[in-house]
Amino acid sequence: MSTEKVDYLLLFRGTNWDKGMSPEQIQKVVTNWYAWFDRLKREGRCSGGHPLQSSGKIVSGKGRTVSDGPFAESKETIGGYFYLHVADEAEAVSIAQLCPGLDYGVVVEVRPVAEMCAVRERAVNGGVMAKEIPLETAGSR
Amino acid sequence: MSETKPMSEYLLLFRGKDWDEGLPQDELQRLLDEVIAWHDDLAKRGRIKAGQPLERRGKVVSGEKGRGVTDGPFVESKEGIGGYLILLAGSEEEAVAIAKSSPTLFYGTTVEVRPLLNECPCFVRARRKLTFASV
Repeated sequence: MSTEKVDYLLLFRGTNWDKGMSPEQIQKVVTNWYAWFDRLKREGRCSGGHPLQSSGKIVSGKGRTVSDGPFAESKETIGGYFYLHVADEAEAVSIAQLCPGLDYGVVVEVRPVAEMCAVRERAVNGGVMAKEIPLETAGSR
Repeated sequence: MSETKPMSEYLLLFRGKDWDEGLPQDELQRLLDEVIAWHDDLAKRGRIKAGQPLERRGKVVSGEKGRGVTDGPFVESKEGIGGYLILLAGSEEEAVAIAKSSPTLFYGTTVEVRPLLNECPCFVRARRKLTFASV
């Protein structure tokens, strides 16, 4: 076992969890959320995170079509993220289980950050990638 | 890059199945070169604050006290997120223009462009309601 940390992204899904709740209740949940974030940062287990605006654009297809959300009041929409440094996936999941929004319908996606994009990895393994392309240019920090 | 223009942060989420599926090797090579060049150009222009690919697996935690833990059901689907970039841009239009220039769009990926906030919008809404209530 190594003590090396691995990186995980927590993606919080749901931008409608506050529906039907009183402002006091919402404030309590969000205050707990901030306290949870601050504690993880102090412990060195989280290096950053942000809420997302409930708006934005989706760019898709060969025609590069630009469309609006819908991001507001949706169960699927990602409302924010945390960036974690943990020992293993079990630790990332146990952190996710402390999300104060869970009791109100928020869903947390726990995703390991990859060293190299899957497509590139397959290309390198399959001998497609030319050797002259330095590998370190692919991974961004 | 203009020094005077204030930059905002945008999260770009890349969704979709693996775009290399069924591509002939020479096309895959060309596309990979293009993706790397696209990324390097943005990085050189100081537009990338962070960004990484995600592994095509994970867990989903849901329900009261987070009791429901399942394997990520959507990581390999069209909606699955394969990676992200935190972009610095002068406006949402500019962030969208950068997203539109992503070389993998032609091969079926979708890019979601979302402004980053410092404060949770639910919190802002709740506080506004409380302020009005106390007036």
